[in-house]
Amino acid sequence: MNAIEIKGLSKNFGPKQAVCGLDMTVPMGAIYGFIGENGSGKSTTEKMICGLIPKSGGSIRLYGRDNTDGAVRARLGVLIESPGCFPSLTVFDNMMLQAANLNIKDAEKEVIKVLKKVRMEGAAGNKYKNCSLGMKQRVGIAMALLGDPTLLVLDEPLNGLDADGMRIMREVFLDIIKDGTRSIVVSSHLLGELQKVATHYGIIRHGKMLVEMTAEELDASCRTYLALRAEDMRRAEMLLGCRYSRVERDEADYLRVYDLVAPEDIVTYLYENQITVTELRTDKIGLEEYYTDLMNGGKR
Amino acid sequence: MEEKISFKKVSFSERMKGMLRVDLRRTFRSKLFYIIIASALIMPILMTVMMAMMDGSVSINPETGEETVMQGPENTWQNIGTLPTEEALGGSEIFAMCNINMAFMGVAAFICVFISEDFRSGYSKNLFSVRSKRGEYVISKLLVGTLCGALMLVAYLIGSVLGGAISGLSFELYGLSTLNLLMCILAKIFLMPVFVSIFTLISIAAKQKTWLAICGSLGGGMLLFMTVSLITPLSSTPLNVALCLAGALLFSFGLGAIGNTILKKTSVL
Repeated sequence: MNAIEIKGLSKNFGPKQAVCGLDMTVPMGAIYGFIGENGSGKSTTEKMICGLIPKSGGSIRLYGRDNTDGAVRARLGVLIESPGCFPSLTVFDNMMLQAANLNIKDAEKEVIKVLKKVRMEGAAGNKYKNCSLGMKQRVGIAMALLGDPTLLVLDEPLNGLDADGMRIMREVFLDIIKDGTRSIVVSSHLLGELQKVATHYGIIRHGKMLVEMTAEELDASCRTYLALRAEDMRRAEMLLGCRYSRVERDEADYLRVYDLVAPEDIVTYLYENQITVTELRTDKIGLEEYYTDLMNGGKR
Repeated sequence: MEEKISFKKVSFSERMKGMLRVDLRRTFRSKLFYIIIASALIMPILMTVMMAMMDGSVSINPETGEETVMQGPENTWQNIGTLPTEEALGGSEIFAMCNINMAFMGVAAFICVFISEDFRSGYSKNLFSVRSKRGEYVISKLLVGTLCGALMLVAYLIGSVLGGAISGLSFELYGLSTLNLLMCILAKIFLMPVFVSIFTLISIAAKQKTWLAICGSLGGGMLLFMTVSLITPLSSTPLNVALCLAGALLFSFGLGAIGNTILKKTSVL
């Protein structure tokens, strides 16, 4: 049984098709990184999963049940776009409202527990409107965590979080999935952060699922390259460019050689051409580069 | 692994309890609620006292020299409805328009702001993501709106009695009984869901647009406003109460179902 199973999902906004025939599978115990450009249909898909907007076609099953099933919906934790809080109420009052909505017994204790999880217990008495962007985001995540959800759907949860906030979120996410039944769908443009926790990925473009893979599959399909620095970078680039099929200079001013080649061959070749290699290492392209390549229609 | 996960069926009453708890909690933490109730309490006191103070004062039209004698109220219950001997009493014209029935329009402001805040703040996402049945939302809003309206009516009644007592007005019912008065208030309370269901439906359709909800509700409410004094006169009997109750049920179910359909078929964001 999968946490989410979507088949042929579509959504039309008038003549515009925001999602068209999308298939998506999120296994239990997964942190599913849902990636795509702006306007690719990520949020629309997430809203349909949570039943916030009606779908135009297809099916959505959560833990083997239709997503309109009340029992499974009662165990959803959601943060889509921005936290849904009343600005004039305090953080604690907003949390208590959601606790009441979820029929949580011993609500006060539970609210304090989740606020502690996201390190917001100290700001419980603050009015929501006076919270900073990062604090609001933490409140939104805390709200999504209320009621022991089995499935979390988080849209850009890392927006506005500082380094500590991101670390805390990573810990929280890993803690949630540790029993192997709970799952998290996270859409984020912070791909580097996402790569630290995601166990599965889904890349969406123009409302269609481009590719779905596990973190291991991504790792395997991300090509290895040699990164080097030499005394004369311009000449080194020219020489290597003539000899190998793909040589690029990256943002950190390293020369990347993507061909399968032994490091010592490169060092020798450059040395023979009176260029000394000052730094050399093997590396792998990350999710960000993989994604960029995919979006540009390039080969991995 | 699959055995570990189980989903408990949540009964309708439990879901309703949760939804009502949210709305009641919000209501009693809302400044608007207290402002509306306080207004309903203070307005009849101020109106009655001021009108009573102006009783007998003469104004002269400087052009025609015509004298107009201001007539203040003579009976406390003029704030609630028309007495059988109304023609003989003063201030009836003003009281015919500005009486307890204004609560029916006052509750529109509360419902419109209350519902549109759900959508404007994004709280609707929290509500509807964990609730697949939209009906609970509509029912809860109807109940809370009716409660607020009923409290406004009671506050207005108390304000009227206090205003009458302060101004030294008569409490004479002119052939009517206390039971008639009770039936009148009860009929008004039962009529409240008719208005509340209209305002709720308009607010649900308007979603975040508070101005649209308020304009629509006031417009829609005005169409029925004149019927309030006809259906719930001071001489109300159990028949009036039954009539209002039937109307309340009809409107609540009918318009509630339409509201439910709107929420189901459209985005709740």
